[in-house]
Amino acid sequence: MKTSLRIAVTLAMVALAVVAGYGLWHHYMVAPWTRDARIRADIVTLAPDVSGRVMELRVRDNQHVEQGEVLMVIDPERYQAALDEARAIVEVRTQEVRLREHEASRRTRLGQSISEEQRENAQIAAAIARSQLRQAQAEVRLAELNLQRTQVHAPRAGQVTNLRLAQGNHVAAGQAVMALVADGSFYVQAYFEETKLPGIRVGDPVRIWPMSTGAPLDGVVDSISQGITDPNARPDSQLLADVDPTFDWVRLAQRIPVRIRFSAQPDGQRLSAGMTASVQVLDAGQERP
Amino acid sequence: MSWHEWALGGVLVSPFLVAALVALLLTVGLRLLLRLTGLGRWIWHEALFDLALFVIVLGGVVAAMGRL
Repeated sequence: MKTSLRIAVTLAMVALAVVAGYGLWHHYMVAPWTRDARIRADIVTLAPDVSGRVMELRVRDNQHVEQGEVLMVIDPERYQAALDEARAIVEVRTQEVRLREHEASRRTRLGQSISEEQRENAQIAAAIARSQLRQAQAEVRLAELNLQRTQVHAPRAGQVTNLRLAQGNHVAAGQAVMALVADGSFYVQAYFEETKLPGIRVGDPVRIWPMSTGAPLDGVVDSISQGITDPNARPDSQLLADVDPTFDWVRLAQRIPVRIRFSAQPDGQRLSAGMTASVQVLDAGQERP
Repeated sequence: MSWHEWALGGVLVSPFLVAALVALLLTVGLRLLLRLTGLGRWIWHEALFDLALFVIVLGGVVAAMGRL
């Protein structure tokens, strides 16, 4: 009698343990939460449109700039000279048009005393001169644009980051020299295991714990990535698939990026792009108070 | 259940590690209590009982931490 009671007590404990263990398993393996999330933001890389020496650098590292603010001025002398040259060419071509048109109209008036060919040539020469004038005018516009572009403006409001450029450096057109973290563009990229994706839907409420702050932030699932890289799909030099011949007995679930937007852009919080965060997807309609 | 890392001076550990340690201590405490009160007589298979007790306590600790 006593023995069977002892067995019953222990087995009851085991049954309870199975229930608790199942709960733990469910929590860790199925519930959609991850510690693998990063805070990201739109990074605007700034490249000057023209080459030259940086005459004036008007920003410091980590300075906040407004949209359209002048960030740096590139030595404009060369572009000013190019503009002057282009304007002089326009002047020359204008005079040339006058000359040719004058010639053409005079020859038309001369009537039969000169040949038809000479008349025609004079008219064609006038037309060529007019086209050359238009070409010169287009070059002036281009030179003006280049001169304007020696002032580099901020395309968006944001904070200058990791500024390594110094006044006096030479910068090349099209080569990025500065990065801006755009204002109000923070979002979270959470990497969820493949096995947890079925529990995540676009629009689900999300709670985010950035590592840097104690208080959680609210967000919403914005979108789920449709692709990650497949190491077996990397072609070799002959464009054939380079398939790995080994395959493991044990394999890990891969992680898929899920983009989460903040319900309200966190202004007061000091967030930086690249910070780590933990993310939990709350079931729609079951949000905790 | 809410979850975030436990920061121990810049080292961040999975909350499960902390939960497991707490559960282990609680289990040892409970086991001593059972022995002292004489309830330990009702245990049939001690190792099995200990394992079951640990899993139950662990489940409780994880659930409790989630409410923090």
